[in-house]
Amino acid sequence: MIESVLIFNQLGKPRLIKTYKQLDTATQQQLLREIHSLVSKRSDTLCNFLHGSQQLVGSSSRIVYRHYATLYFVFIVDSSESELGILDLIQVFVEALDRVFENVCELDLIFHFDDVHYILSEVVSAGMVVETNLAEISKAVNEGRRQKKPLPEPSRVGIGALRRGFV
Amino acid sequence: MNPLFFSPPHSPGILASPTSFRLRMFEKSLTDLIQGLRANKRNESEYISKSLEEIQNESAAIDKLNYLHMLGYDMNWANFNVVEVMSSAKFSEKRAGYLAASQSFNQDTDVLMLATNLIRKDLASTNFMEIATAELAMDLFDDVLAILGHSRPYIRKKAIACLYKMTLKHPEGLHDFVPQLKERLDDPDPSVVSSAVSVICELAHTNPRNYLPLAPKLYHLLNSSNNNWMLIKIVKLFASLTPIEPRLAKKLHGPLSSLICTTTAMSLLYECINTAVVGDIISVPLPVTDSIGREIDFAELCAHKLEVFYDSSDHNLRYVGLVTLAELQVRRPDLVVNQYETILRCLDDPDMGIRMRALQVISGMATRRNLSQIVKRLMSQLILSNTIALKPGNTEGGPDEDELESTPLIDPSGVSLVSAKGSFTTPKKAASSSEPNAADNPEYRLAAVEAIIDMCSRQSYANMTNFEWYVAVLVDLVYIAGVDVGQLLSQRILDVTVRVRQVREYSVRMMRQLLSDVRLTDFVSGESPHAAVLSTAAYILGEYCTLVPASCDDIGLLLFPCLRQLTSDQQAAFVLAAMKVYTNWLQDVSGYWNDEVWELVRSTNTTTMDSITSLFLGQEGDDLDVVVAELPLQVEGLLRSFIEITKAVSVATSNMSASEPPVCRELHSLFTMYELNPVSAAAQGKVPVPDGLDLDSWIGDEIPDTSLRVLPPPPPPRQTRAPAQRNYASKDHKANRKDQPLGMLPDVDSIPVMQLDLGDLATARPKPRKSDKPKKKKKSKSSKRHKKPTPEPSPPMVPVDIVGDEDMPDIPTKPLNDTPAQQPGSISGDTDNAGAEQPASPPQQH
Repeated sequence: MIESVLIFNQLGKPRLIKTYKQLDTATQQQLLREIHSLVSKRSDTLCNFLHGSQQLVGSSSRIVYRHYATLYFVFIVDSSESELGILDLIQVFVEALDRVFENVCELDLIFHFDDVHYILSEVVSAGMVVETNLAEISKAVNEGRRQKKPLPEPSRVGIGALRRGFV
Repeated sequence: MNPLFFSPPHSPGILASPTSFRLRMFEKSLTDLIQGLRANKRNESEYISKSLEEIQNESAAIDKLNYLHMLGYDMNWANFNVVEVMSSAKFSEKRAGYLAASQSFNQDTDVLMLATNLIRKDLASTNFMEIATAELAMDLFDDVLAILGHSRPYIRKKAIACLYKMTLKHPEGLHDFVPQLKERLDDPDPSVVSSAVSVICELAHTNPRNYLPLAPKLYHLLNSSNNNWMLIKIVKLFASLTPIEPRLAKKLHGPLSSLICTTTAMSLLYECINTAVVGDIISVPLPVTDSIGREIDFAELCAHKLEVFYDSSDHNLRYVGLVTLAELQVRRPDLVVNQYETILRCLDDPDMGIRMRALQVISGMATRRNLSQIVKRLMSQLILSNTIALKPGNTEGGPDEDELESTPLIDPSGVSLVSAKGSFTTPKKAASSSEPNAADNPEYRLAAVEAIIDMCSRQSYANMTNFEWYVAVLVDLVYIAGVDVGQLLSQRILDVTVRVRQVREYSVRMMRQLLSDVRLTDFVSGESPHAAVLSTAAYILGEYCTLVPASCDDIGLLLFPCLRQLTSDQQAAFVLAAMKVYTNWLQDVSGYWNDEVWELVRSTNTTTMDSITSLFLGQEGDDLDVVVAELPLQVEGLLRSFIEITKAVSVATSNMSASEPPVCRELHSLFTMYELNPVSAAAQGKVPVPDGLDLDSWIGDEIPDTSLRVLPPPPPPRQTRAPAQRNYASKDHKANRKDQPLGMLPDVDSIPVMQLDLGDLATARPKPRKSDKPKKKKKSKSSKRHKKPTPEPSPPMVPVDIVGDEDMPDIPTKPLNDTPAQQPGSISGDTDNAGAEQPASPPQQH
């Protein structure tokens, strides 16, 4: 299964952290740092698979990543996943992002990080791939976004706002 | 990350909108928060704590919290609010709430009870959760199971994934879940089927046996589906099923071979080949028709297709190709061996992972013919990266770099370049400078050294054609390994020297060279990587000193200034070796006794005594006896004997005598009375215990366990194994009684049991092979008259084995240029003897 999905930039700033095993906040941050230190120093001429040897990524896990412009998309998977398959999956995921955001860039991921979560959840759910068809993915995402449209801004939901009867 | 780049590219102008302006008066939106964060790069944490306060006190957005959570800030305090938002009637709010919950809740979250009820309510409509806890799973399991039959495929596929998570926490649920899952395999919607397959793969990964009944359905999917992702999953699943159900292999042969021939997706192609290889489907004796209609072996087809991967310019394909190639090699080495050139190229790949894989494959394909070429390649990698590492700040006056680059890396004449030229500092220094070169990676260096040694010594040196070259390689590795492999190297040097009679002389010369290298011996200590190699070198020099011209300089090499820094076992090795070398030299010079020799012996004796004194005695005037008694036991016994020897020599040579004093002539025979031969590790067990000898009882008084004198436990009782013993004796030891290892002399009493103090010399040797020396060992074992048992350190015995003549080179392949030392005849000259001994010591791979 897929253990976690991380998106971060070259400096190691997180753009998305999704773990399919329960990890507390501090551990997630540690994982991020660990993976960033492993991945960021690899040049593009090296292969995109790494065997986990670190504390948080066990030796049976593999790190599959892709580097797009400023961002690293990292999937940590166990031995039951196909490396090449995951590599393709990352491509599918990024293409899905691109369809939804049109010419996706890092800023889209920053300002719509909730949307990125929703898109990811269409592709990967509970650590398993549920959909690899781009058309299906964007259909589901757009459905979700349509429901949100009435709001003036992306997802301005607040507890306080609810209490005071705004929104 | 331009801080000027504030406005999000796709949000409608937020400041322009009156609604949003009104809202901004009361709260910051998520966008504001993110913008603010980006504006306050310098004091981010300050800004965040301020924002957190705002969120807490005034108004808050769950999304904001969620974003900060990603940055590593705790949001557990807002759990209740999250549930509040989850219960909102608006879809978007609810969704934000669920997202926050799935990100931040864990099984210890306090509001889970509330959440459970809420989720149950919501499940009636659309949503689902991903946090699974035992309680939650139990409570909700049935609800989720019910929606598996939901009319919308979207819900069905999500529910399947969700149920998997739940069964992890609630295994009892599997009973209900698996039949349902099986039904879902027939679902009209392909993504639902795909999810179901994913889940089955996941479940089968932990317990494949339970899912064998699903194989027919999966097999059907394998034949009918064209969803590559699902096919990969199924193919991988079958890889884990075939070991349990071998009949599957035959079934899979057809679909896999047709997939391999037809698919265009590299990932699917790879997984098919991998499954075919790992699941051993390649051994199914059915022919395959390839794309141009020829019938070929399935294994050949796989090997052929695999070539596309490891010979690809894409690093990812190359990596996975090598992984499978290593598997293929295990099963069909014949198919891999002609890929030698390609793999050699992969060894220079900048990627560590690829290199390690290539190393694994290449070491498996080493043969007599290509061994030296492969080793040369690996050695040059080690050496080159070391050269690079040495460039800065190394001004020790070695040859300049141009010279280094143009010199051959390994001089086949045996004098290794590095040891001769003196241009390399110790590996430690080299390793300290870090080059981003894969060959500098300690992990890779270690693997490379191990691969070299494995290739060379595999199957009792089956691949070896030139042992002198091998010793030279080992000695070079001492210098260039750059990682701590001293123990390994010393073990291998000893192994080859002892097993291969013909290389001993050469080995002794190389060891002498090692010992005389001040770069190794200066500042050496027990922990330094070279210590083990040096003490082995000392042992070899001492043991086989008769093979080279005697020289009194060797004594100085062995009693070198840093000797005391070594561990006590290592010190003992040096002292013993010095003793052997010294007595050998005495015997040698006795042969042409005259005034000059007399003078020389006297002065050498004095020098030797002086070096012992200065090494082991702190100050002038210390009582030698007292100091020696405080030494570790291994060293003490040997040193006493050595001192006795020097005293005896000094007495004997106090006056010039016409003929050589007998003590000079005879001392060395103490060490050479019986030749020390390698025996099998199991030989000791075949030795019959003489009547009346109780191996469990202490010899002499029991020695209290002190930190200074650590004694090994008494030897375990040996069972006499009559048949084995008979075999052993009758088969191998008819001819040469003198060469027989310990225990083959039935008449124990005939062994001279005298000169007890000198006998101590030998038994205290730390080297395992010492225990095979018939004379001394016998004494310590059989005579209870020892006033003090010399401890016999029992490190794990190196399995010894003389290379039989079938392993000796028959083709002088001349792996390297101008190899005068390489004379196949010189190795095989003694093969009769070696062959005769082999049955006693079965070849052992270690």
